[in-house]
Amino acid sequence: MRLIQQVKQQINIWAILSSMFILVILLPAMLVGKHFFAKPNENWLHIKEYLLLDILSNTLVLMAMTGILTTAIGVSLAWLITVYQFPLRNFFKWALILPLAIPPFIGAYTYHGILNYTGVIQSTLRNQFDVQVEQKYFDIMNIGGAIFIFTIFLYPYMYVITKSFLENQSSSIIENARILGGNSIEIFFRIILPISRAAIIGGVSIIALEVINDYGVVKYFGIQTFITAIFQTWAGMSDLDSAFKLAGTLMVVVILLLLFEKFARGRKRYSYSTSKIRPIIPKKLTKSKAMLASGYCAVIFCLAFLIPFAQLFLWMVMTYDKIVTVEFFGLIKNSFFVAAISAVIIVIVGVIIANYTRIYQGIYAKVISKVTVIGYSIPGAVIAISVLSIFVALDNYLLSVFNYFQMDPLIIFRTSIIMLITAYVIRFLTVGYNSIESGFEKIGNSFTEASKTLGVSTIGTFFKVDVPMVKGAIFGGFILVFIDILKELPLTMLLQPFNFFTLATRAFRYANDEMVSEAASASLIIIFISGICIYFFHKISEKGSEK
Amino acid sequence: MFVMIENLKYQYNKSTKAIIQNFSLKIKKGEIISILGESGSGKSTILRLLAGLETPNSGSISINDNVIVNHHHFLPPEKREVGIVFQDYALFPHMTVERNIKYGLRKMSRIQKQQRLDEMLQLVRLEDYKNRYPYELSGGQQQRVALARALAPAPSLLLFDEPFSNLDAHLQIKIRNELREILKHTNTTSIFVTHDQTDAVALADRIILLENGSIGNELKPSELASTNYMLQYRTGLRI
Ligand SMILES: Nc1ncnc2c1ncn2[C@@H]1O[C@H](COP(=O)(O)OP(=O)(O)O)[C@@H](O)[C@H]1O
Ligand SMILES: [Mg+2]
Repeated sequence: MRLIQQVKQQINIWAILSSMFILVILLPAMLVGKHFFAKPNENWLHIKEYLLLDILSNTLVLMAMTGILTTAIGVSLAWLITVYQFPLRNFFKWALILPLAIPPFIGAYTYHGILNYTGVIQSTLRNQFDVQVEQKYFDIMNIGGAIFIFTIFLYPYMYVITKSFLENQSSSIIENARILGGNSIEIFFRIILPISRAAIIGGVSIIALEVINDYGVVKYFGIQTFITAIFQTWAGMSDLDSAFKLAGTLMVVVILLLLFEKFARGRKRYSYSTSKIRPIIPKKLTKSKAMLASGYCAVIFCLAFLIPFAQLFLWMVMTYDKIVTVEFFGLIKNSFFVAAISAVIIVIVGVIIANYTRIYQGIYAKVISKVTVIGYSIPGAVIAISVLSIFVALDNYLLSVFNYFQMDPLIIFRTSIIMLITAYVIRFLTVGYNSIESGFEKIGNSFTEASKTLGVSTIGTFFKVDVPMVKGAIFGGFILVFIDILKELPLTMLLQPFNFFTLATRAFRYANDEMVSEAASASLIIIFISGICIYFFHKISEKGSEK
Repeated sequence: MFVMIENLKYQYNKSTKAIIQNFSLKIKKGEIISILGESGSGKSTILRLLAGLETPNSGSISINDNVIVNHHHFLPPEKREVGIVFQDYALFPHMTVERNIKYGLRKMSRIQKQQRLDEMLQLVRLEDYKNRYPYELSGGQQQRVALARALAPAPSLLLFDEPFSNLDAHLQIKIRNELREILKHTNTTSIFVTHDQTDAVALADRIILLENGSIGNELKPSELASTNYMLQYRTGLRI
């Protein structure tokens, strides 16, 4: 009886729309699965025999080393900032997040430009001091270099996650440890690391997904990974089947990673207790220790932001009159256009799904909520080839229909921007959805319930109460998606229509053609906009936590 | 009988035991009922069932001879005309007092809405506050706005979930006397749930004890009052 009523209540516009969106999100994953078990061709057998092991080991080494190093840097910085008071702490607190504004591939070509034979370091040494250096010490175009680049530009994820975890811990944990007579280093290893385990593992898995997804760094440095191999087999050899096999194998790696995350995290989730806690009050460090702490933060900040930023700025100054032309403004327009459209679609879809999963609790809603967030764990290149093959099939179908009526097709998807936007939506829905969902979680259900008992329907309530109340979270989700798309490279590379470039793909093309200074202007715009958004977000979350 | 609740049973999906069972209650038009029970005894759940925010496993509810829920019928909350004043008031933070109170008045003309608003503001004595936002009001004022908002559409049944738990003691006494007057003045049939005997005695025509998910003893407020010191409250305050 109650079951029938519950089912009746579940079938509504929200459920139908949400299910449709979910189907679109699931399509790439299902397509990859289908191809993965299909009969292999010769090319794939060749790849399997000669390349796969290399690809796999490169990917694993990059993931593991980046994971370890970002943990070391991110957690130690978060710990210093939350527990101690030292000069410039308040500046570093947010400045250390700033490297997130620099996409790793931009960092990669910038550092190569700084360190190579004609770069600023070697030419200064040569011209001012007459020193010739051994090239091999300055070569970062290798796996070690890639690990360095990933580490300095991705550690902020770890820093942000562990910092907000530690900020929500009670000061009594550390006070007790101090009373029990541990020194700082001991407290770090015996208390901070173990209690932050779940947060750290969450951070590691985000960073590992970023490493797996990367195309720009490994391509520029000439390292074979799954993504470069997908580009080669498909863009180079037009072998979609093998590209799908590679994608499938990569998805196995991703799934193993997510399983690892689930088990390593255990039952402890890093949810913060909502009750009032006494926050950790930063302790003043002695003079020499304080200098050390400031110095450490300064080194990381310089390496991960100031130095590459300054270099890019110099390059821009050198070349901007050549670069900043009508075409350049076209790039900005393109980037903003696709990012804005996709972000708008994402927040609309995100609001609908989040509202559905919130109001109608039940297994189906829970499944939908879980599926919504898988997009982000599928690498951009994998989504790209799936979306492409779907739209090619759609085009062929439409073509045959139009031919039947002896007409020209009205639209060809595979050369249109629709394909690119669809792929963005699938990949970045997670980001928008998470922001909106946490907005809904904060306000709870009571306002919606109050509205309904006042006689307003679910739809009316949605527009009058639900949406206005989470508009901050919606806006936040929009901004996060927007900057993610602005920085996006592999998916855009594979799906951008002919002669359509974004700031990111243009910068990468220039850099790959050894025109690094030309790449600088486009890169700086990306960094500038992302940087402003990051600053803005830091201020908001700062305010939120003070309340 | 105006409100008829028969054999209501409810169990949360996750739990193994029914929170509400064999719950039956009849209420006359204009009567004020108080359901008294310990915290966790299922008081809020009963109100949610009446308002349509949860679906009972079995049992039926009808108001003014209209069935709002039984084994093959379920009227959603927005169609029930059951008002509720939540424990935390749930005033819409992005709307002024005026817009909060007008929120439930959809079928009226603009002039009617304005009249009703003025009437309500006068009733709860908040005429000077209509342009304020909820966070610019004191706890007692917020409570009165919540009452005005719930009363404005003239619900056939008005529910209160621990209406005084967020107020200072001296405000509690003042407001609960006002509340009884307003409810009697508007002849509004109401149920309010509380764990506080004092509140129950001061407000209700009839007090119901909630035990193990169903109705235990039923008392006249005077009976409860005469058995303990509540008497002083009641006599001192209202007679
Ligand atoms: N959403 C829920 N899921 C499962 N159990 C719940 C839920 N909400 C309340 N309960 C349980 O139902 C019981 C009654 O809750 P409630 O009606 O809120 O009691 P009261 O309002 O009398 O304090 C409590 O034991 C509570 O733990
Ligand atoms: Mg309650």
